[in-house]
Amino acid sequence: MEMNDPALEKKYHSKLNGDTVLVLGMLALLVSVEGFVLYKILSETWEIAGNFFYLYVIFVGLLIAIETIGCLSVRNSIKKHMFEFRYYD
Amino acid sequence: MSENHESGSLVKTLRPFHVWALGVGIVLVGEYMGWNFTVAKGGVLGSLLAMLVAGTMYVMISLCASELGSSTKLAGGPYDWARLFIGPGAAASVGLAVYMEYIALEAADAIVVAFIAQSIFPELQVFPVTLLVIALLTFINYRGVVAALTLNFVLTMIAFIAIVVFFFATAFGAVDIHPEYLFQGALPNGMIGLFAALQFGPWFYLGIEGAAMCAEECKHPARAVPLGQQAGMITLLIGAAMTLYLCAVLIPADMLGVSVYPLFEAAQNSGMFIFIALLGLGTFLTCVASANGCVCDSSRSWFALSRDNYVSSWFSAVHPRYNTPYRAVIFTVPVAIGFAFSGFLDQVITFSIISGLLCYVLIPFSLIRFRNLFPETTSKVRPFVGPLQPYIAYFAIAIAITIFSTLFWGYKYNLIFAFVFYGIAYFYFSHRHKNSNIENNWTEMGWPAPKGSENERIGKEVMGVGDE
Repeated sequence: MEMNDPALEKKYHSKLNGDTVLVLGMLALLVSVEGFVLYKILSETWEIAGNFFYLYVIFVGLLIAIETIGCLSVRNSIKKHMFEFRYYD
Repeated sequence: MSENHESGSLVKTLRPFHVWALGVGIVLVGEYMGWNFTVAKGGVLGSLLAMLVAGTMYVMISLCASELGSSTKLAGGPYDWARLFIGPGAAASVGLAVYMEYIALEAADAIVVAFIAQSIFPELQVFPVTLLVIALLTFINYRGVVAALTLNFVLTMIAFIAIVVFFFATAFGAVDIHPEYLFQGALPNGMIGLFAALQFGPWFYLGIEGAAMCAEECKHPARAVPLGQQAGMITLLIGAAMTLYLCAVLIPADMLGVSVYPLFEAAQNSGMFIFIALLGLGTFLTCVASANGCVCDSSRSWFALSRDNYVSSWFSAVHPRYNTPYRAVIFTVPVAIGFAFSGFLDQVITFSIISGLLCYVLIPFSLIRFRNLFPETTSKVRPFVGPLQPYIAYFAIAIAITIFSTLFWGYKYNLIFAFVFYGIAYFYFSHRHKNSNIENNWTEMGWPAPKGSENERIGKEVMGVGDE
């Protein structure tokens, strides 16, 4: 569903881009911070953690993958319904 | 829903940043204190694993809550989801669990604020300051949800920025760290410590599901709830990783495991005044923000229970001027004071965690039932469709039960008491409201009749599509 008013439509896409940038920025920060912390801790404790490091890899992978897919779903949902529900009026 | 209440409707003004402020505001206190018991149980490696396992569970729970909250748009949150999709017994248990979880946290937060105030001004007494904090936050919530959550946004943002600034200063070498602390306190209790540490993993994120409880007061719940909740979840994941790293390289593990204010202590160990002041302020503000969010969420849960006659419908009145559930808000005062001065606060907090874990089993289960009863994806029924469902719902339940089981070490009696309490609530309210599922008025919500019901065909015909 789209609008007939081009100015309003442009405003909607601009606001949607704002939401997208916000979420992508936070996701990028999340990946960087998790990667940094995991590297620092596991590298210092590798003599002990080397035996079960895969547990950390599995859970950090799950966490980031599910959150990323979730954020993409949120973005798609906003894009799909933004004109219908007039999110940015 | 009962017609036997005098309420109008709650005002719909909240935006995504309010949802973020409600969720993160309640939870961020758990990153300033409490999470470090994971270190006492499992060392730095146990704490890291607990943070990741609990984080994975909460990501999945928050996706379930986003879908359920944006679909139902009701103030009761987990209570209303259980009422609509499971049954009255589960609904009452979850409603009471949410109420207990948040009101116990409010009491704990108010006491910590009073202790911090007393440490700054020794002439102050803890008892009157605790009363003052509870009364002040109740008054703010009485006056209006927008003012309460805007206050939360400011307090929470300052507390979060304090962690971020401290982390980047440390990561870029402005603070002298002790990497040897990581190895020295890596795994003091062996492999069993990895498992034992899981019981305190929820501290990093406990209460984020409450963000969806303001759905009824959102201007556009289909956008505000999923966006605010996911932004909140990412904020907490970032904050948790930063907090763990900062404390682990600045405080020896044996001291970190028993610290009362670990982030503040890490700042003290850095020896830099700016961080001591910043993290001290952050500790204070995050306690106030958490207590404030808890008043908001516990009152909404009580309001929803009252609206459906699970408790007296007298509490379901909405203020004619401020559009807040003012009686439910005021009723938080005596209960919070009772919790605060029971003398068993550590037990009360553990009861709060157990109540939260009960919700983490029943929220994904509500989503599974919701998907089964209403498989169609229309704008009216399901404006936000969560990904990877129902698989992540089953996975979240499995992790929640695993964490539940670890509470048996050290909190056996709390666990048994909670099972008895919620078991009695389940059977009592199941019996008292055995016909309430029939009373769910799906058409009034603009939904079709649920799959498999007698009225499914009729429901499809009357269902409208389109508006929110």
